[in-house]
Amino acid sequence: MTPAVRPAGLRAGWLAGGIAAVLVALVAGLAFGSVALPPAGVAIELLNLVPGVHLHSGLSPREVAILTELRLPRVVLGLLVGGLLALAGAAYQGVFRNPLADPHLLGVAAGAGLGVTLVISLRAGATGDATANLPIGVPAAAFAGALLAVGLTWLLGAAGGRDRSPATLILAGVAVSSFLAAGQTYLMQQHVETLREVYSWLLGRLATAGWHDVLIVLPYAVVTAVIVLSQRRELDVLTVGDEEATSLGLHPQRSRYLLIVAASLGTAAAVSVSGLIGFVGIIVPHTMRLLAGPSYRSVLPLSVLFGGAFLALADLLARTAGGQAEIPIGVITAFFGAPFFIVVLRRGRGGAS
Amino acid sequence: MRPMLVAALAATTLLITGACGGNDEATEPSGSTPSSAGAAAYPVTVGALTLEKKPEKIVSLSATGTEMLFAIGAGEQVTAVDDQSTYPTDAPRTNLSGLKPNAEAIAAKDPDLVVLSNDIDKIVSQLDKLKIPVFLVAAATDLGGTYQEIGDLGTLTGHRTEAEAVNAKMKTDIDKIVKDVPARNKPLSYYYELDPTLYTVTSKTFVGSIFSLFGLANVADAADPDGARGGYPQLSAEALVKSDPDTIFLADTKCCQQSVQTVSARKGWSTVAAVKTKQIYPLDDDIASRWGPRTVDLVRAVADAVAKVPS
Amino acid sequence: MSDPAIKVQDLRVRLDGTRIVDGVDLDVSRGEWVTVIGPNGAGKSTALRAIGGLLPFTGTVELNGTPVDRLHRRERAKTIATVTQSPTVPPAMHVLDYALLGRTPYVPPLGRESATDLAAVEEVLESLDVARFAGRRLETLSGGERQRVFLARALAQGAGILLLDEPTSALDIGHQQEVLELIDRLRAERALTVLTTMHDLTTAGEYADRMVLLAEGTVVAAGTAREVLTEENLARHYRVRVRVIEGDHGPLVVPVRA
Repeated sequence: MTPAVRPAGLRAGWLAGGIAAVLVALVAGLAFGSVALPPAGVAIELLNLVPGVHLHSGLSPREVAILTELRLPRVVLGLLVGGLLALAGAAYQGVFRNPLADPHLLGVAAGAGLGVTLVISLRAGATGDATANLPIGVPAAAFAGALLAVGLTWLLGAAGGRDRSPATLILAGVAVSSFLAAGQTYLMQQHVETLREVYSWLLGRLATAGWHDVLIVLPYAVVTAVIVLSQRRELDVLTVGDEEATSLGLHPQRSRYLLIVAASLGTAAAVSVSGLIGFVGIIVPHTMRLLAGPSYRSVLPLSVLFGGAFLALADLLARTAGGQAEIPIGVITAFFGAPFFIVVLRRGRGGAS
Repeated sequence: MRPMLVAALAATTLLITGACGGNDEATEPSGSTPSSAGAAAYPVTVGALTLEKKPEKIVSLSATGTEMLFAIGAGEQVTAVDDQSTYPTDAPRTNLSGLKPNAEAIAAKDPDLVVLSNDIDKIVSQLDKLKIPVFLVAAATDLGGTYQEIGDLGTLTGHRTEAEAVNAKMKTDIDKIVKDVPARNKPLSYYYELDPTLYTVTSKTFVGSIFSLFGLANVADAADPDGARGGYPQLSAEALVKSDPDTIFLADTKCCQQSVQTVSARKGWSTVAAVKTKQIYPLDDDIASRWGPRTVDLVRAVADAVAKVPS
Repeated sequence: MSDPAIKVQDLRVRLDGTRIVDGVDLDVSRGEWVTVIGPNGAGKSTALRAIGGLLPFTGTVELNGTPVDRLHRRERAKTIATVTQSPTVPPAMHVLDYALLGRTPYVPPLGRESATDLAAVEEVLESLDVARFAGRRLETLSGGERQRVFLARALAQGAGILLLDEPTSALDIGHQQEVLELIDRLRAERALTVLTTMHDLTTAGEYADRMVLLAEGTVVAAGTAREVLTEENLARHYRVRVRVIEGDHGPLVVPVRA
């Protein structure tokens, strides 16, 4: 037997690389920001987070607040949301056997957008001020809108047969998205003063204060990760198509259902706290595929790690590169994501198998 | 669809912040008399906000807020204003953005009071976490709102008496301007243009309330009678031409280069009364989109226009 | 007498509202090789897919005495393996991983392949002479080599019954013979039961123990190759003029011009 051909799987080297990327993003995110904080002070304050530790860091109370109430939760949120979006994107690409699938595919983006616009318009109608302090209304509306849209797509997808083939689902998703997006545009046009707030939400942002948003996303992130990762082998088998997968003993419809539910829940949660952040969900899985091989046993976990690191670093740029204003994070991910992907693609094509 | 969206976005931007440029015919900001004017007793409370002592490092992310602060004599206490705060010209402008606020950058200025017009991207809760006091001067819907905000800022900054003086002067000036305009037996109608795609305001908005002082009738009221459109409907060209406004006021002279000539040249508009009599009045985008002390200038501009129309 | 490996009674399959298979009876004993032939559109592939449990059907299909729709999926995958007409070639997948997919019914739900699974696959790849391609991407192999890898995946399932839909259609004459020889040898080595559909009749008769001729969804002839491959049957159902020649292992069919 020819030696040294190992079955596909997550190599220790890549796993270590992923963890390293996350750590780099974490450290960089905490060390840098609009306010220059001395690195030693930052390190000591982080140690102070450990209960029972009280060291003197030399940072003023306001600086400590900036570090622990603004930066730390924000970086963690970036890691969570980035990992979640990349994982959901990878799952969708596997379920639909389509490299262009992204987490917003089945109507999540349009549904969330409509929910948000609806809430903001109602608010504007009632108080006359579109930007009045919006309570939990917006995240909940985004979440509900996203899930309703996916549900609608799922129902519509049955029109092509009870099996809900991937192709039919994609078409249903397009139809639902178009319909809901039209509704959103209509609302925005009727309530012009909502444009600014909605547009800002559409571009996505990780600005957060305290741990509230992180705690909202965390349970969904865990559930999604557990379910999707549990289906990694199934995703590999699904690459040969439904019929062959069935002959191999799989239940493609059930795997598909589980994966769609998990990925949609995760995406809806991410979208509800951070708006629509594009590119992460499509670029990171592809890049991982090109670099570490097509097996979902590596693509899925690596997407979580590198997706989180990517978004956290992009957010670092978003809050430091724009002078004293913030650059919308969707702009950063597109700006850096696209050329990076082109580079990886060319390398991948030229490289050996 | 996209040009419409962009134009509407521009319109909203104008409404909230105003484009650049200033106007010399302004109400003079009160001289910077040191805090002799009314020894304000601290701590003071306005709404949910309590300040322990007089703020000396105010950061304003609202163009209108900046105008108000300087008008009541608190200018010396202001350390930084946002990039859209164009008036007064000697206000300490920085790159801070009121539209995409960066909490850390704001905190770097070490403010003891931040004045904002909108709570975007959870900036208020971020600043709260940093224990930085925040005061919101939201867009007023009528002059009463403006006076309230000026008064509140006066209380917070220790310039209560000057604030009341500013309000009193504004009221007197406005009353005088309005009274000096001769009454008409038939009210004039007006169309107020926010952008060339015919976004306008109804009489239920702040701007609309100014025009109502002169008894002017807004042709756009029919398009949004119950305010369901938030007071900023978009008219169709047909509806506009049919409503035949006597006067047209342009608030898109700077952003979108509209003028008497461009409006007169619009196809199908030649039959409109305002175009025939050339009663088209360009306004300063800034003044028209803010609701601060320079509202008096807006009132004066409208009065001048109305006075010119033969009865 | 033990159950036949495959027993089909009154099989009917509807696709998109049309009756494709309209009452087919068919038996395959253990170790037998039965080839289903018939003109295009006769329903051969559809019948095969239904027998493999991949399509809904009415009628009875029993594998080793158990109805196929009563078998749990994984059990079914360990009992019967299907190689479809044009198997999907997943991009960038290595031959080893592709063959390992055949072990899916043996891998526990949250688990991974065991050493046994790996050993089984390696053995199969060796016997099909594709072990040297283990680290190559499937799409870089030639048609003949790929066909052997498809077979390897099916054999890795460890099933006793093999369903092959048009195993030689995409191959040149040399590879066609090679694949058929291979299947016959494996059948003997592993005591497999083989049911294939075949569209090329020239040498089909040399390999099948028995044949079934399907036309318009029903069986119109069944028996040994000699009994089914007659000039008359072929002229009637294929509308072709042929000469049937007796070969060393079975009848050879040669189309001739008028």
